[in-house]
Amino acid sequence: MLGTVAPLQANLSTVLVQIVILSSLYALVALGFTLIFGVGGVLNLAHGANITIGAFVAFVVSSQMGYGGFVGLAAAFVLTGLLSGAYYLGLIKRIQDEPIMVMIITLVTAVAVEEVIRFVYGSQPKVLTLLSGRVNIGGSTVTFTQLVAFALSALLIVGMFAFVNYTRQGKALLATSMSHKGAALVGIEANRINLLVWVGAGALAGAAGVFLGSIQGASWAMGRAPLVLSFSIVVLGGIGSIRGSVLGAFVVGTLEILTVQYVDSSLTGLTPLLVLVAVLLLRPEGLFGRELVEA
Amino acid sequence: MSEDTASGRITEEGGRSLPSVPGRYVVGIVGLLLLALLPLLANMELGLGVPGVFVFVVDDLFLLHLTTALYFGMFAMSWDTVSGYTGQISFGHGLFFAVGAYTSALLNLGYGIDPILSIPAGIVLAAVAGIVIGVPALRLRGPYLSLVTLVAPLILLQLFIFRSDVFGGELGLRNPENFLGFGVNDAAIVYYIALGLFVAIMALLLVVTRSDAGRVFTAIREDEDAVSSVGINPAKFKIFAFVLSAAIGGLAGAMYVHTPVGGPTPTELMSTTVNVEVIIAAVLGGMGTIVGAAIGGIFVGIVPQLLDSSGWIIPGFLPVVGGTPVADIDFLIFAVITLFLLYVLPGGILRAVIRNGRRVRNSRRGDDGVATDGGQSERVFTRVLRGWREKRRGDDDE
Repeated sequence: MLGTVAPLQANLSTVLVQIVILSSLYALVALGFTLIFGVGGVLNLAHGANITIGAFVAFVVSSQMGYGGFVGLAAAFVLTGLLSGAYYLGLIKRIQDEPIMVMIITLVTAVAVEEVIRFVYGSQPKVLTLLSGRVNIGGSTVTFTQLVAFALSALLIVGMFAFVNYTRQGKALLATSMSHKGAALVGIEANRINLLVWVGAGALAGAAGVFLGSIQGASWAMGRAPLVLSFSIVVLGGIGSIRGSVLGAFVVGTLEILTVQYVDSSLTGLTPLLVLVAVLLLRPEGLFGRELVEA
Repeated sequence: MSEDTASGRITEEGGRSLPSVPGRYVVGIVGLLLLALLPLLANMELGLGVPGVFVFVVDDLFLLHLTTALYFGMFAMSWDTVSGYTGQISFGHGLFFAVGAYTSALLNLGYGIDPILSIPAGIVLAAVAGIVIGVPALRLRGPYLSLVTLVAPLILLQLFIFRSDVFGGELGLRNPENFLGFGVNDAAIVYYIALGLFVAIMALLLVVTRSDAGRVFTAIREDEDAVSSVGINPAKFKIFAFVLSAAIGGLAGAMYVHTPVGGPTPTELMSTTVNVEVIIAAVLGGMGTIVGAAIGGIFVGIVPQLLDSSGWIIPGFLPVVGGTPVADIDFLIFAVITLFLLYVLPGGILRAVIRNGRRVRNSRRGDDGVATDGGQSERVFTRVLRGWREKRRGDDDE
C-alpha cells in the first residue's frame, strides 16, 4: 500500500529493514489515535487529516517558502498540533460525551480537509524532500529519508513513552484514561488532559505525515490508508495502550510487507483488515487492552 | 442523541391545535404529493420570481437526479432502522447495498435472469449479510462494533479488486438491464417507480418502528441491560433489526442498479464516502425517526447535484475559493453545510422543525407558557449564543 514496499523477491535483510521502517511510521500514527481514544473515549476519524495537513505544511514551508526539509518538519509538528488542539476546543469539546456525534463530525471534517487540500494543491502528489542520498545497511539500500524517518519516529515514540510514564502530566493522562471519576477525585482536570492529548496526537500525526510524504509523495488522500491501518493496529494492541499500539504496528507492518513479498501484492490492504476482524471477534480487548468501561 | 423518539409522540397528543390530524402529518403528506406531482410540471421553470436567481427547470434530467436522491433516501432509512433505533452504529452500510446490487446485477448479466427475479435474490443475500454482520455485533459494543462495520465493506472491496474478473474491481460492472425495461427516455416512469418504492419502504419501516418491536429497539439503544432485565432477549431484536435493515438496503441497492441512473460500481454503493453520506443524511434529518432519515437522504442526494448544475460562481471576495465555479467544490460546500447544520441542530432537521412549528403555533394561540415539550424552546440562534456565553464563563462544573 505504501511506497516503501520493496520489489518482489528482495533478500531477507531488505525485507527486515523495510519492516522496521514501515512499522515505526505506523506506530507513530497509531499512537495519537490510541491516546485520544484511551483518554477521551472517542474515535478521532480526522486523525488521517492531521497526516495530510502535516505533509502539506511541510511542503509549503520547505519547498514553496524554501526553508529546507527540517524546518518544514518542525513547522508541521508544531502547526498540526496547534490545529488539532484548536479543533478540540472549538468543536469536539462540546460534544465529547457523545461518541457517535464525534465520529460523524470528525469524519465530515476529514472529508472537508481533504477537499480543501485537493482544491488548493490539486490531485497530483507533491514531492516532499527531507534529505537526499542513500546508504547501504547489511546488503540493502536505504535512503537517508527512510533512515531519518525511522530514527525520529523511534525518538518520538520513546519520548512519548517517557512522558506518559515519568512526568506528572503524563501520569495524570494515564490516570484519566483509567478512570475519569478517579482522576477527577484527585484533582485532575479531564478537559486539560484531553486538550493535551489532542495537541500531542496532532503533532505526532503531523510528523508522521511529513515522513510518509517524503517517502511516497504528499497527496490529498494520503491520510486514509494510515487511518484504516491504525484501526487494526490499535484494536490489535488494545485501545488506549501505548505498548500495545507499538507492538500492533510491528505486527501489521510485518504482515503487510510479508504479504507483498511472498503472497500477492493485490492483497496488501486485506491482511490488516482480516487481522482486525479476527482480533475483534476472538479477543475484543486486544493484546494489552482493558475491557471497555462504560463512563 | 439524548432526545428520545417516543417523547415526540407522547407530547404530540397534548399539543395539537386542531382536534384533527397533527400539522406535521399534513406537511408530510403535502410533501409526498408535491413529489408525486412533480413530473406533471415538466419543462416549467421554478424559481423565486427574480429572473436568473435560483431558477431550475423540471426536466427529465432533474427527475433522474431526484430519482437518485430518492434511492439515497431509502439507503438512509435502512441505516436509521438499525443504527438510529437500536443504537448499533453501522459505519459500513454500503456493504448491504452492494451485496444486494451486485447479486442482482451479476445474476442479470451472467445468467440473463430478469430483474424481477434477480432483485429478490439480491434481497435474500443482503439479509444473509445482515446476519453475518449482526451476529458478531452481539459481542461487540460501541466503537468496536463501529470499527467492524467500517472495515467490512473495505474487505468486500478488496475481494472485488482481487477477483476483478468477476466483480469488475474498482470500476464495477457494466449496467444490467433496466427494471421492466424503462430507461432514460421514460424518466417520469423511472421516477414514479422510485417514488413508489420509497413510500412503500417508508411505510413499512414506520409500521415496524412504531410497533412493539420498535419500542424494544429504542429501549436497546437507551439501556440494553434494562431490556434484558424485563425478560426480553436483546440479541433477538438486534439481529432482527440488522436483517430487516440489510434486506431493505439490499432491495434499494438492487433496484438502484436496474435504473438508468445507477450502476453496480463501488463508488456508488460501498465506498467510504457513501457510507459516510448515509450517516450524515440520517443524522442531519434526525436519527431514529425514519422520516428524518428520508428527508435527510433526499437532501444529501439532491444538494450536491443542484450545486453542480447551478452554474454559480463563488464571489471573489472570499479567500482561496473566490472566483471558482461551485461545481468544482460541490463536495466541500456540502461538507461545510453539513458541519454547520450538525453544529446548530444536533438533533436533526426534523426535530428542530417539529419543535419550532409547535412553538410558532403555540405562540400564535397565545399560550406560550404551556409548551408541550416541558419548557419553552428557544431559537437555535439563541441557543448557540448562550452556548458560547457559557463557554466563555467556563464550564468547570462538568
